[in-house]
This record gives sequence, structure tokens and C-alpha cells, in this order.
Amino acid sequence: MKFPFLKEAITSLTKKPSTELYPLVKKEAPEGYRGRIKFHADKCINCGMCIRVCAPDAITRTIEKTEEGDKITFQFYLGQCTFCQMCADFCAKKAIELTKDYSMVGTDEEDFMVRGTFIKKLPPKPPVPPAGAAPAAAKAPAAAPAATEKPAEKAEDKKEEK
Amino acid sequence: MFKKLIEKGIEKSPWLLHINTGSCNGCDIELVSVITPRYDAERMGFKLAGTPRHADIVVVSGPITSQSKERLVRTLAQVPDPKVVVSIGSCPRSCNVFHGSYSVEGPLDRYCDVDVSIAGCPPKPEAIIDGLAKAVEILKTKRRGK
Repeated sequence: MKFPFLKEAITSLTKKPSTELYPLVKKEAPEGYRGRIKFHADKCINCGMCIRVCAPDAITRTIEKTEEGDKITFQFYLGQCTFCQMCADFCAKKAIELTKDYSMVGTDEEDFMVRGTFIKKLPPKPPVPPAGAAPAAAKAPAAAPAATEKPAEKAEDKKEEK
Repeated sequence: MFKKLIEKGIEKSPWLLHINTGSCNGCDIELVSVITPRYDAERMGFKLAGTPRHADIVVVSGPITSQSKERLVRTLAQVPDPKVVVSIGSCPRSCNVFHGSYSVEGPLDRYCDVDVSIAGCPPKPEAIIDGLAKAVEILKTKRRGK
């Protein structure tokens, strides 16, 4: 008479139970797990690539004009995120990171918001010349580069002719 | 005295009802993994109920599609009152990538109060256990408040 799985049954008697004791024994997510988003606001350059690439429109950006420059806030709504990591892959400055934190439980919408704010400064404005001298000053720099460019072009033309 | 005993028993062993409202089955598989031997949630007392009338915690997955909306509303109406609604994944919370579709009528909080949300697409079974633990706490406060 044959007993199928007899060996299996006997070895299973001495094995530990296969249940994972999760709340007692904390478990770390495997390498490369895509969990809670972490946004490094200091690295961001406001190119908007993450917003363009995000399929469920989970990323929103608000721009506020202040005296110091544009105050830019990026908001990631994890309740709408697919955790596809496209935003992190396309980020030129590696400002978005998907951490291994998997436990995202909340009762409120605010629990799923990840925000980051930074100020993007405008380039310094050129000094404004006095009103009377303005047209002359405007013409002079415009004429000067043109004058310098023309001989250079001519020189290149000559080289090509030769 | 019997009432106290029953009350304690209900708190220790809440029964789950799982409603799939057009989910892609990712979250459903993770929930199945929670209640099967690997993450055996039955050791914490969670048990799948066969009918909405027995349930304490309602677990919803999926964006609410036009086909399932009617069934969802009818099923939720049958659950007895101190109930906790748990949404699994991004879909019931905000319709995820399906938002704006002509056949999706979510999110879930249009039809009932969502007490606990578990984010993730799909969430890890550990995260679902965390969420269910939170749901039990809310269920306790709801029952004692009554």
C-alpha cells in the first residue's frame, strides 16, 4: 500500500509553523520595495517632469510669488499613488525617493500627504540705468555685440572660402 | 454579565466582510494572503463572514464602478450599525489611475464614511494587518460610545 506524502507529513511534524508573527516580529521590506514617498525639497529644481509622468495625477504643485522668489510647494497624495516609481526615475536631480516604509495607515486625508516646500530665487536683475541715459545705454550694448560678431563671421566666411 | 461577555467576545473577534468593487485583484490577493496561514489574521480574531449581516468590519477594494455601485450601497446598508469601513489600496480612496473614467463612480467616501484607509498599490499584508488593528480600536470606541 502506498502512502502519498507520507514523508512530507512526517517532516512537517517537526517543522516550525509557517505563520509569520508579524506584529510581534517586525519585518523589513525587501530591497527595492516602493513604499512611502520621500521628497527632498532642497534638491528639486521645479522642472515638473514628475507631474508630467505621473499617471494617476497624484502630484500637485502650487507656486506662490513672494519677494524672495517663487515659493514652490510639491504635494504627493499617497492615497492616489500607484507607487510605480516613474517620478523618481525621471527626476533629474534624484529629489524623489521611494522608501521601504510600507505601513501607510491613516484615518484622514492629511495622513497620506507628503509635502515639500522650497524657494526658487529669480536671477538677479541687471542694475537699472537712470531714465535719461536708458535708451542710449540700451543701444550701446546692443550695437557692441553686433559689431564684435560681424568681423568674426567675416573671418569664418573667409576661412570657408579658402 | 452575559452581555459583558458577549461584548468582550465581539471586540476580540471582529468579522470581516470583503467587497470587491471592480478591483484589479491585486488588493484582494493581498487580503487573501492575510487571512491564510502565512499571515494568519485569524490568530488575532479576524474571520471572513459569509454575509454582510454578520460583519463588523467592511473591507472595500477597488474603485467603485457603475456596475458595482448599486451592489456596494445595498451591501453596506445590510451591515449592522457599529461598523467600520476599511479601504484597501489607493482605488477606493481616490480612484487611482481610473479617476475620471466614464465607468467609475468613486471614490468610496461619496457613499459612506471611510474610517481607516490603507495606502499602497497593493499594500503589503503587514500594512493590512496594521490597518485592521486600527479598525479594531475604532470599532471598540464606536461600540462603547453607544
